[in-house]
Amino acid sequence: MPGKELSSPCVDCHDVESILTVRSRRLCRNCFVRYAGGKIVRRMEKFRRQPKSSQYKLLLPLSYGVSSSVLLHMVYAQLERQRANTYSPTGFDLQVLVVEPSTISAFSPACEERFETVQKAFPAISFTQVSFHSIFEFDPNVLETLQEFAGSSFVDDPSLPALDRLEKFRRSITTSTSRTDVDNILLIRLVVAFAKASGCQTILWGDSDSRLAAKALANVAKGRGSSLTWQVSDGISPWGIEFEYPMRDLFKTELDNYANLFPEVKSFVIPDAPISENILTKNLSIDELMMRYVQTQGEKYPGVMANVARTASKLQASELRSGQCKLCGASTASAEGLTGGTTISEEREIPRFCLGCARSRPMLDN
Amino acid sequence: MPPTPCLRCREARAVIIRPKNRHKLCRNCFLEVFETEVHETIMSTKLFYRGERVAIGASGGKDSTVLASVLKTLNERYDYGLELMLLSIDEGIKGYRDDSLETVKRNAVQYTMPLEIVGYDELYGWTMDQVVAQVGKKGNCTYCGVFRRQALDRGAARLGIKHVVTGHNADDVAETVMMNLLRGDLPRLSRGTSIVTGSEASDIKRSKPLKYAYEKEIVLYAHHKKLDYFTTECIYSPEAFRGSARTLIKDLEKIRPSSILDIVRSGEDMATLVPPEVSGAKNPTAVARATEEETTGGCGSQNGRSSGGEMADMEKQLAADENAQSHETEIKLSDIQLPDGSVPLQKTTNKKTAKKPPQKGTPLGKQVKTQTMGKCERCGYISSQKICKACALLEGLNKNRPKTAIEVEIAAEDEEGSTTLMRQMERIQLTT
Ligand SMILES: [Zn+2]
Ligand SMILES: [Zn+2]
Ligand SMILES: [Zn+2]
Ligand SMILES: [Zn+2]
Repeated sequence: MPGKELSSPCVDCHDVESILTVRSRRLCRNCFVRYAGGKIVRRMEKFRRQPKSSQYKLLLPLSYGVSSSVLLHMVYAQLERQRANTYSPTGFDLQVLVVEPSTISAFSPACEERFETVQKAFPAISFTQVSFHSIFEFDPNVLETLQEFAGSSFVDDPSLPALDRLEKFRRSITTSTSRTDVDNILLIRLVVAFAKASGCQTILWGDSDSRLAAKALANVAKGRGSSLTWQVSDGISPWGIEFEYPMRDLFKTELDNYANLFPEVKSFVIPDAPISENILTKNLSIDELMMRYVQTQGEKYPGVMANVARTASKLQASELRSGQCKLCGASTASAEGLTGGTTISEEREIPRFCLGCARSRPMLDN
Repeated sequence: MPPTPCLRCREARAVIIRPKNRHKLCRNCFLEVFETEVHETIMSTKLFYRGERVAIGASGGKDSTVLASVLKTLNERYDYGLELMLLSIDEGIKGYRDDSLETVKRNAVQYTMPLEIVGYDELYGWTMDQVVAQVGKKGNCTYCGVFRRQALDRGAARLGIKHVVTGHNADDVAETVMMNLLRGDLPRLSRGTSIVTGSEASDIKRSKPLKYAYEKEIVLYAHHKKLDYFTTECIYSPEAFRGSARTLIKDLEKIRPSSILDIVRSGEDMATLVPPEVSGAKNPTAVARATEEETTGGCGSQNGRSSGGEMADMEKQLAADENAQSHETEIKLSDIQLPDGSVPLQKTTNKKTAKKPPQKGTPLGKQVKTQTMGKCERCGYISSQKICKACALLEGLNKNRPKTAIEVEIAAEDEEGSTTLMRQMERIQLTT
């Protein structure tokens, strides 16, 4: 249009002033939203319209972090569009699960109001809020496993409330790497158990591409290489529930930008804790170290970091060799006849836990 | 505080905290545990057969010196019936190789093992010093690595030996796993952890019996066994991805000492998950071999700094791929809602270039990289290319040979490398 003076027009529509740079292209607000949304739509393709009888039931765990919040916003928009078409049923049914953050970490705020806010923002779907320790209800077998896992370090007291019993177990693990590791598995088990109880076949995780890269590296470093086929790749988890990571094509910084454009998302997101510069490396957990690594390297080499997640997701799940880990469901083959470092104190019988879990057990903590 | 007793014998005083698991051990128990673990690795992988002639790739550095010492001990203790000898490569680096070769010569006497030294000049017509004078200090790790790996094979062939063992340790293997993950190199990820690597071109197999041994424990073993070794590592800086992986592994070790071993284990597990069409080649261990040759700088340099060039190059390539791909991909515009709730108008999409939605795990618009193995047309050495790396490097060198006579102006970007090299050279002289 002649006469229009734009100092930095959007490279997609050429009509509007650009507001941000996305993968070295200047885009306007609408074009950015379309770009980001397009990446999700492509991943959600398989959940498009289905005959009513085979409608997907999807569970979206919401942590109030930027990534899962943006995922909820995008998937909800997709659902709305499908609903707008009254002549065919929607492709999927969406349920949201919130594990009350204050029951996971004492540093997280209580989120009662937040829960109200998010429900108002997305009125057409059902939300459930549970506490972390409700894992004992949803996954009744877990207690026995935890006792076996922690051995004498954890003596359960059934007279205590569930909250205290879980706390007691978690306190038996002393290093931050092991604690984060075991917490992650317990959270996954809780979400899986809830999904099963509510008839969902698929869980939509909010992990961004950066987060998946960090997770891939961390899992490899923790001896959990074989779990990449469902912890990073879209795939069937050991519990038979399908795991999907629709945000895998978007960088964390892009999700931050997206959230900033939508006040209704901003209204319930818990902002990321700033990275503290003065923690000694040895006091970080492996998960934190890898998150930092991907973040700092990602500033210079975002594509290389993204490629890590892509590479990891090319691995193909194999038939389970040998036994199955009682805690995380991985193959226990990796823990058999551990060479090196194990001649002295580790047991030699058929392991009940995989290598990754064995490393996080309280008595083996080092 | 009373002295801590050894965790194993409960009698002697513990003087060592094992880097691998922080167990407190006495000197003798540490040496024995270390040896037993190497023995277990050898037995569980059926690495040797009775009467086998084995060459130990000896550089005079800690890894290969410890390997030679441990193999000699185990060969006698468990009666493996091996015929062991030392095989050394003389790269022709003045002040560096001269001293380490002296070490190897002393080792040969100490361990009563025959020693064969093969020079780069006789194998390639170039010493490393001449190569550096020719190409500058950039990318020299490539020459160092490629030439050395091949030299071991060629030296072994000269001795009529079919099995060469090298001093690669757990840190090296872990580093390779992380590096291949960072580089997105699945074929190499699938084979980088195997203990034995074969070759289609020569029938010489290569193995790494110290695959599960920590670098720090190798140093401790050498120290407590009072081994005679040469302390300087390769003076050339590692490739950027290897450098990044190395830093990461050092950090991980601080957080959880077992993580080096855990990465090796993860690498072994992931190797079984790489789709067969990606790992390629009928003879998978041959790929592993080529992998080692092409990627293992094997330099182990702690102070090597890298320009980051390889990472930057890959970043550029990936960005270009993504750009190309975004033009190919049909965006379902009707599925996208604008912030104001409207649906944007359908853009015209060229149906011919529009791609089907991607298959799971396949990057858009990009074929999965595969490798097939053949022989070098020039020297018959195993290679994924028509001409092997060494011959390709040599071709470049020989083409420019006359220039070396003239003083070549050092390019600005080479300068840092050269001063680094000089500093390192000075340090070597100081430490000897
Ligand atoms: Zn625009
Ligand atoms: Zn496990
Ligand atoms: Zn002892
Ligand atoms: Zn050749």
